[in-house]
Amino acid sequence: MIETHSSSLKTDQMFINLGPQHPSTHGVLRLGITLDGEVIVKAEPDVGYLHRGTEKLCEVRGYHHCVVVTDRWDYVSAMTNNLVFCLAAEKLMGLEIPARANYLRVAMCELNRIASHLLFFGTYGIDIGAFTPFLHAFREREMVLDLFEMVCGARMTYNYIRLGGVMADAPPGWADKTSEFLKYFKTKLREYDDLLSFNPIFLDRTKKVGIITAEQALDWGLSGPNLRGSGVSYDVRKTFPYSIYDKLDFKVCVGEAGSCWDRYYVRMREMAESVKIVEQCLAALPSGDIMAKGVAKIPTPLPGEAYAHVEGARGDLGIYLVSDGTSCPYRLHVRAPSYINLAILQEALVGLRVADMIAVLGSIDIVLGEVDR
Amino acid sequence: MIGYFQTIYRGFADTFKGLAVTWRHLFKPSITVNYPLAKLKPYERFRGALLFDAVTCIGCNLCVKACPSDCIALENQKTPEGKKIAKVNWYSIDFGKCNFCRLCEEACPTKPKSVWHSLDYETVFYARNQMSRIWQQGNPWMGTYYDAGEKIYKTPEGDQIPIEEIPSRR
Repeated sequence: MIETHSSSLKTDQMFINLGPQHPSTHGVLRLGITLDGEVIVKAEPDVGYLHRGTEKLCEVRGYHHCVVVTDRWDYVSAMTNNLVFCLAAEKLMGLEIPARANYLRVAMCELNRIASHLLFFGTYGIDIGAFTPFLHAFREREMVLDLFEMVCGARMTYNYIRLGGVMADAPPGWADKTSEFLKYFKTKLREYDDLLSFNPIFLDRTKKVGIITAEQALDWGLSGPNLRGSGVSYDVRKTFPYSIYDKLDFKVCVGEAGSCWDRYYVRMREMAESVKIVEQCLAALPSGDIMAKGVAKIPTPLPGEAYAHVEGARGDLGIYLVSDGTSCPYRLHVRAPSYINLAILQEALVGLRVADMIAVLGSIDIVLGEVDR
Repeated sequence: MIGYFQTIYRGFADTFKGLAVTWRHLFKPSITVNYPLAKLKPYERFRGALLFDAVTCIGCNLCVKACPSDCIALENQKTPEGKKIAKVNWYSIDFGKCNFCRLCEEACPTKPKSVWHSLDYETVFYARNQMSRIWQQGNPWMGTYYDAGEKIYKTPEGDQIPIEEIPSRR
C-alpha cells in the first residue's frame, strides 16, 4: 500500500468520474474514482447503462427466439453465447446433436475466440498508447468475420447455433478458406509479439502493474484469461468438457504473476491454441446431418431446470434455465463473466496511480453488453 | 550507469523491431477499398435488408410467428363475403425492430421465398416513419413507406445498392 497521507502537507481528496462516455471504458462503464494526488484510494464501478433486460425478454419469447437475444450479450463473441444457451436448452429437451453440427459449433466458437482476443489485442494497444497493433488486429479480425459472413450471413450477431444443431452447413470452399486463414494467422502471431508483446515500453507499462494474486482472483470469482493470468489452471473446456472438447488436444495457457502483461499474454497464447483446435476440427469434420431429428418448430420442454456453462472468450459463461412446461422459459439467468471480472477493479485499482488505471481496466477485457445484459 | 545505457539501447532496438513490421507493409498492396466509389459484394448468405414479393406471398402468417421481435404484420385480402384468401392486402416490416436474424426467411414456405434477405447493406432511413416499410400489390421488392404529412406512400430514398442487379439467393 502506498502512503496516501502526508502529515506535513494537508491534501484534499478528489473525486473524478471516468465514463460513461470515456473511450477507454470499452463501452458505457462509469468508474467513480477517489484520488489522493495521483493515487487511487477508492474505485467504484457503476454499471447498468446498457441494461436492456434481456433475461426478462427471454421469459416472453420462445426458446428458438431466445437464441437471437443471446447474440446481444457478449456481442464480440456471440457464437459462445448461442452455444451456451443451446446447450442448456438441449439439456432440458434431451436432444442428441449430430457429430457434424458439434464440430462446426466448436470450430465457430474457437474462431470467435480468435476474433474476440484480436479485438482485445488491438484495443489494449490503444489503451496503452500504441495505435499500430489495432490496425494489424482488425485486418485479421476482418478475415475471421468474413468466414462467419460466408457461413451464416452476419458479422456480429450470428444466430448460427440453433437448438439441435446449426443454422446451415458450411458452404463449399469455406473449409479451404479457413485453413488458409489459420496458416496465415500463425505467422501474424509472431508479428504481434514483435510489435507489442515484448516491446520494452509496453512491458514497462504492464509487467508489474495491477497484480492480482491467485488467492484474490479466486476470492472475487474471476474466470477465463483473467484467472489463468494469475496462475490458476482452470478452463471449463478441460475441467468440465462439453460438446467435443474431450476429443480435442489443446493446452490450457497459464500466466505467472497475475499482472496486466500476464493476462494479456495468456490471451495471445490462447489464440495459438484456438488455431490448433480449429485445425483439428477441420481435419476431423465428419459428414452427416447438421440438425438433430425431431426438433419441434416451437419447442416446449418438460418442466425442469438445467445449467450449462462454457469457456467463453471472457471466462466461465453459464446459463441457468428453468422451464415450466410452456413454450417460453420460466426463468433464465446468465452468469456473465465480464460482470464478475469487473468487480475486482474495486480492489485491484486501489493504490495504483491514475496513469495505470486504464492499463488495468483494459487488461480485464470487459464487454458492457454482457455486464449489463 | 551501464544499466541505464542498456535500457536506452533496448528501447531503441525494440522500437526498430516494431518499425520493421510496419515497414514491410509499405511494399504490400492496400487491403482497403475506396468505399463509396468501390463497393465490396457480400457473400451469398449475407443478411441484408429484407425484401418482400407481394405476388408470391400466400399470407400464411408463418413469418409473423417466426419473428422474435414482432416486427412483421400483414393483412390478407378478402372476398366480398369477407372470407380471407391466400393473398396479402398489405405487408409491413418495422426495420426499427428488425434483428436481421433470418428466421422469417427460413419460415417462409413459398418457392421462391416471398420474404428474404437481400445483399443490400446500405439501407438508410432519414426519419422514423421511413423505418416501417409497407408493401401492397404491385409495389417493388424494396417496398414503400407512409408519409403521414402528405398522406401518400413513397418509395425509399437514399443511395442504395440497386437490388435487381445483385443476384439474390431467393
